[in-house]
Amino acid sequence: MNTIEYSSKERRRDYERETGAVSHKSQNYNKRNRIKKRFSLISMGKGLDMPFCILIMILLAVGLTMMFSASYPVAYYEIGDSYYYLKRQLLFILIGLILMLGISFVDYHYFHRMSVVVLAVSYFALLLVLVLPSPTGVHRWIGIGSFGIQASEISKFAIILFLAHWGSKYYDRMNTFKYGVLPGLIVFVSTAALLLLEPHYSCIVIIALLTVLMLYISGINIKWLLIGGIALIAVILILWVTGMLSYAMERMEGWGQALTATEGKLWQDTWQTRNSLYAIGSGGLFGLGLGQSRQKYLFLPEPQNDFIFAVVCEELGLVGAVIILLIFALLVWRGIVISLRAKDRFGKLLGIGLTSLVGLQVILNILVITDWLPNTGISLPFFSYGGSSILTLMFEMGIVLSISRTSNIEKS
Amino acid sequence: MGANQKLRHRTVWLLIIILALGFGAVISRLAYLQLVKGDDLQKKAVEQQLVDTTISAKRGTIYDTKGKVLAQSASVWRVVMAPATFENDEQREYVAKNLAEILDLDEAELLEDTKENTYYVSVKRKIESEEKDKILKLMNDIEEKYEISGVISLLDDYKRYYPYNELGSSVIGFTGSDDQGLSGVEVQYDDYLSGTPGRLVTSRSAVSTKAAFEYNQNIDAVDGDSLILTIDETIQSIVEKYMAQGIVDNDVYNRGVCIVMDVNTGEILAMASVNGFDLNDPFTLSQEEKERMKTVDSEYLIKNGYTEDPSKLSDEEYKKLEKHAKNEQESSALSKMWRNKAISDTYYPGSVFKMVTLSMALEENLVNEDSRFSCSGAYKLYEKNIHCHNTAGHGTETYQEALWNSCNPAFIQIGQLVGEEKFWDYYQAFGFSEKTGIDLPGESDDIFFSEDGSLGPVDLAVASFGQNFSITPIQMITAASAVANGGNLVQPHVVKQILDSKGNVVKTIPNDTKRQVISTDVSKEMREILEQNAITGSGKAGYVAGYRIAGKTGTSEKLNDSNGDGVDDYIASYCGFAPADNPKIAALVFFDTPLGGSYYGSAVSAPVFANIMSEVLPYLEVAAQYTDDELANIDTTAGSYTGMSVKDATKAANSDGFNVTVKGEGDKVLAQVPVTGTTVPVDGTIVLYTDENSSSEKVTVPDLVGYSVSDANYIASYSGLNISVSGSASSSDSVSVAQSIKEGEQVSPGTVITITFTSGSTIND
Repeated sequence: MNTIEYSSKERRRDYERETGAVSHKSQNYNKRNRIKKRFSLISMGKGLDMPFCILIMILLAVGLTMMFSASYPVAYYEIGDSYYYLKRQLLFILIGLILMLGISFVDYHYFHRMSVVVLAVSYFALLLVLVLPSPTGVHRWIGIGSFGIQASEISKFAIILFLAHWGSKYYDRMNTFKYGVLPGLIVFVSTAALLLLEPHYSCIVIIALLTVLMLYISGINIKWLLIGGIALIAVILILWVTGMLSYAMERMEGWGQALTATEGKLWQDTWQTRNSLYAIGSGGLFGLGLGQSRQKYLFLPEPQNDFIFAVVCEELGLVGAVIILLIFALLVWRGIVISLRAKDRFGKLLGIGLTSLVGLQVILNILVITDWLPNTGISLPFFSYGGSSILTLMFEMGIVLSISRTSNIEKS
Repeated sequence: MGANQKLRHRTVWLLIIILALGFGAVISRLAYLQLVKGDDLQKKAVEQQLVDTTISAKRGTIYDTKGKVLAQSASVWRVVMAPATFENDEQREYVAKNLAEILDLDEAELLEDTKENTYYVSVKRKIESEEKDKILKLMNDIEEKYEISGVISLLDDYKRYYPYNELGSSVIGFTGSDDQGLSGVEVQYDDYLSGTPGRLVTSRSAVSTKAAFEYNQNIDAVDGDSLILTIDETIQSIVEKYMAQGIVDNDVYNRGVCIVMDVNTGEILAMASVNGFDLNDPFTLSQEEKERMKTVDSEYLIKNGYTEDPSKLSDEEYKKLEKHAKNEQESSALSKMWRNKAISDTYYPGSVFKMVTLSMALEENLVNEDSRFSCSGAYKLYEKNIHCHNTAGHGTETYQEALWNSCNPAFIQIGQLVGEEKFWDYYQAFGFSEKTGIDLPGESDDIFFSEDGSLGPVDLAVASFGQNFSITPIQMITAASAVANGGNLVQPHVVKQILDSKGNVVKTIPNDTKRQVISTDVSKEMREILEQNAITGSGKAGYVAGYRIAGKTGTSEKLNDSNGDGVDDYIASYCGFAPADNPKIAALVFFDTPLGGSYYGSAVSAPVFANIMSEVLPYLEVAAQYTDDELANIDTTAGSYTGMSVKDATKAANSDGFNVTVKGEGDKVLAQVPVTGTTVPVDGTIVLYTDENSSSEKVTVPDLVGYSVSDANYIASYSGLNISVSGSASSSDSVSVAQSIKEGEQVSPGTVITITFTSGSTIND
């Protein structure tokens, strides 16, 4: 807005700071930093933001406990081993913790340079899933042996990374359409188009929110957001008319009708949501007690995945749910505080983006299980079962810790 | 504002949006669902989470009036299987094979069942303890062999048993597969009998009935109440025995009915629709009904309106139609077999109704000693001749004679004296216009000439002798009881008392009197007239030696032809009571469509009535009072003379009232015929054997049919045989109609032959 009024001195300083991390001129400065961050068991905790770490550990512990509680009847009836999901999730979490700590030692400025590559990988992955055979007709997973990763997990990270990169590189031109809006728009539209083909609508919603969020904090003119909002509505209308939303519509059939449906397809379609609501409602203020969920006995399908929070609500009640949400809120708060402390704009934008992603996922997930959004498949970070989502999440948290490490060490 | 400041600024806004708006919305949504909607959602959740198993209540027992068990529930078991617990095909095959063997089921079908992925398949219901033990052993074997449990389980159940099979079938009724009453008192008192099922509420998962989490609530079943009927098994047996004989003797096409009722209390002592059916197997057609089933072929289908042209149908359609027709025929045969004719069938009461018509006239003082009625064999009314059964005419009669003669023209005149209005009043008063309200299902309404009771002169004329209006047998006997008991219309009922499972009285059914219809004086006079009728009048075929019987015959034309012989069907009935001076019981016997030559009540029903009464009255300890003639025919019991010296034995037998014939040369009696305890008529002959060889001597049974009592006795004693008199032997014109041992058979001297007599000149009514 007031870029023009910017004093040239301030501009220069800002710019140098933004470009400093990657400029060859500041090599020494960087080298010094990296030496200090060299991996060593003794210095493992050095520079890490302890409140953020503790919040992650709490969420992992609570999440694993609840995932076990929610999953053991399903694991028992369907697999014959009550501990099946627990064992696997525990393994994922351990790998994830190592990954997180490992990433926290990596100078996040590397990602500055990698952003375009990551974006390219994201597009490749999105194209790859489309050609991979899928028995269900929904192309989301890239399988590597028994381990699979959702292409969209890469996309979410890639968009945050790219927009953080762009927003920090051209921070002084964010006010313009060409630099401020267009790249974000192109990246979003192209990614969304590929996600439409998968199809994976809930992810489109998330990347749309992420794009807006990143552009907003990057400092674009607010009017573009308004225009974008109107454009989005228009696009949805067009998709609606052309029938591209048919799959989503199928998923949306029964949205908000979970409790009124009585029979037929609608009853089947709303089965999961209805049983989620039963579970949440059964919890009351203090819940049925840990492990006492009844809905997890095959009434609520896949209670260990997207709908795990329904079981949490049933067992721990509103009090437990609110406490967990507060921990999430603290995590978001702390993540943003860490990000704002970052010495450069890239770190700030990247940290805020990654932290907000966690917050957005939590909100959207709970809106889905409470029937305020259609049942579209958004997992709950730290709680939902799944290797790829846990590992991606821990990777992202590692980056936030890396940012904290950098800023804290610099401070010291 | 610098770029960093702007970022910081916008980040604060972002935090506010995410935390306040996002988390705020989420938390408020959760609070709404958990606190506001919580109870409602939880209720719905509980509905699907808990499984409510019904615990069967034991159905109450049905006793006869003396406490004999007529219907009882016994523990049985239901076998259920949880196929989802199988781990491999070997286990499935093993279980299917063994279950099929133990329960006599189809192995292939069972194998199919074992492949279902559920936890509940009902294998067989109502297995008994023998099979249960085998199943328990199998359960044990499976557990040992494969280390899986819960594959098969046994659930408690009950099965209904009827110890007397056919006895009282239409009254007792039977139950369905869910232990619910389907007919008779089983359905009428179902609410009492069935008790209150208990409930076992346990948790479940979406696919299994097994408890998923800790939850258990048990409400015990309350066993059903028991019934004590007014029915007396002994009387019911006597009734059914003679009714069945009557059906065979008279080739009765549409079964017969007999009701025995306590005239003062309305208690039904016996009620039979014969032939009945086996209560333990009510869905199998009786042999009789099976034989009557028509072959379902094209002709049948056309005739019964199933199709107009079977050739137009495809094979499949034809088969379907054929099956449908067969099923319909079978279910109609079944409902016919189950039908309680005593309350569900309506019939023209015929001449039996004359006792009601005469009661009306006497009560209204319309006839007296001076009244005279004339009969010329027919009565002309509006160009229409109504014939009397005696076409020669009865001449001039008093009202008593009119009844004794069962004279239709005389009763037309009595009816005219009563008039349409009074006739309808009394018709209602005697309870014909409404159901009796007996505690049995399926009671029919009467069919009178008009709804409001108005009737024309011709209607009145035929109504006075019981034609052209239909009533149920239970209405007729209730009215007859009123005539007999001093004029009180009682409430007929079959249940005396209801007891709870611990034996406490829940309810005692009162012996209600609805109203007094005629005065005690008129009732007394009617008793006298009807008693005389049973001695010398049209009802004399119903007489029982030694008892004061009162009765009236009835023969009514049905105006339809059920057996297809081209002649209208008849109903032969007899209604009477005893003892005539102080009536205790009334009985109504009726046979629907007798085809054995005679269809008159006097010939068909009266002897059956007499036979029933001859056994029921002694059973009820009604003292016999014999006339001199009857005394001569009284039977006595042969004493024990064996082992005595010939001289002592002869003396003893003589003092017991027997003649003695000694066979052999010995001094000591080695054997006697008839043996000790045999019923022998007074003045009968006892043959005493004194040596080994003499007992091989045989005599030939002579023809004893077609003689009077004294002639038959003479012929028998000439052959060295004894006779026992049965049937109507008191009047001078009695003739023997049957003998218990056939002519020409070789028997020991002194053997007792039972000879049935019938009154020679029966009145055709």
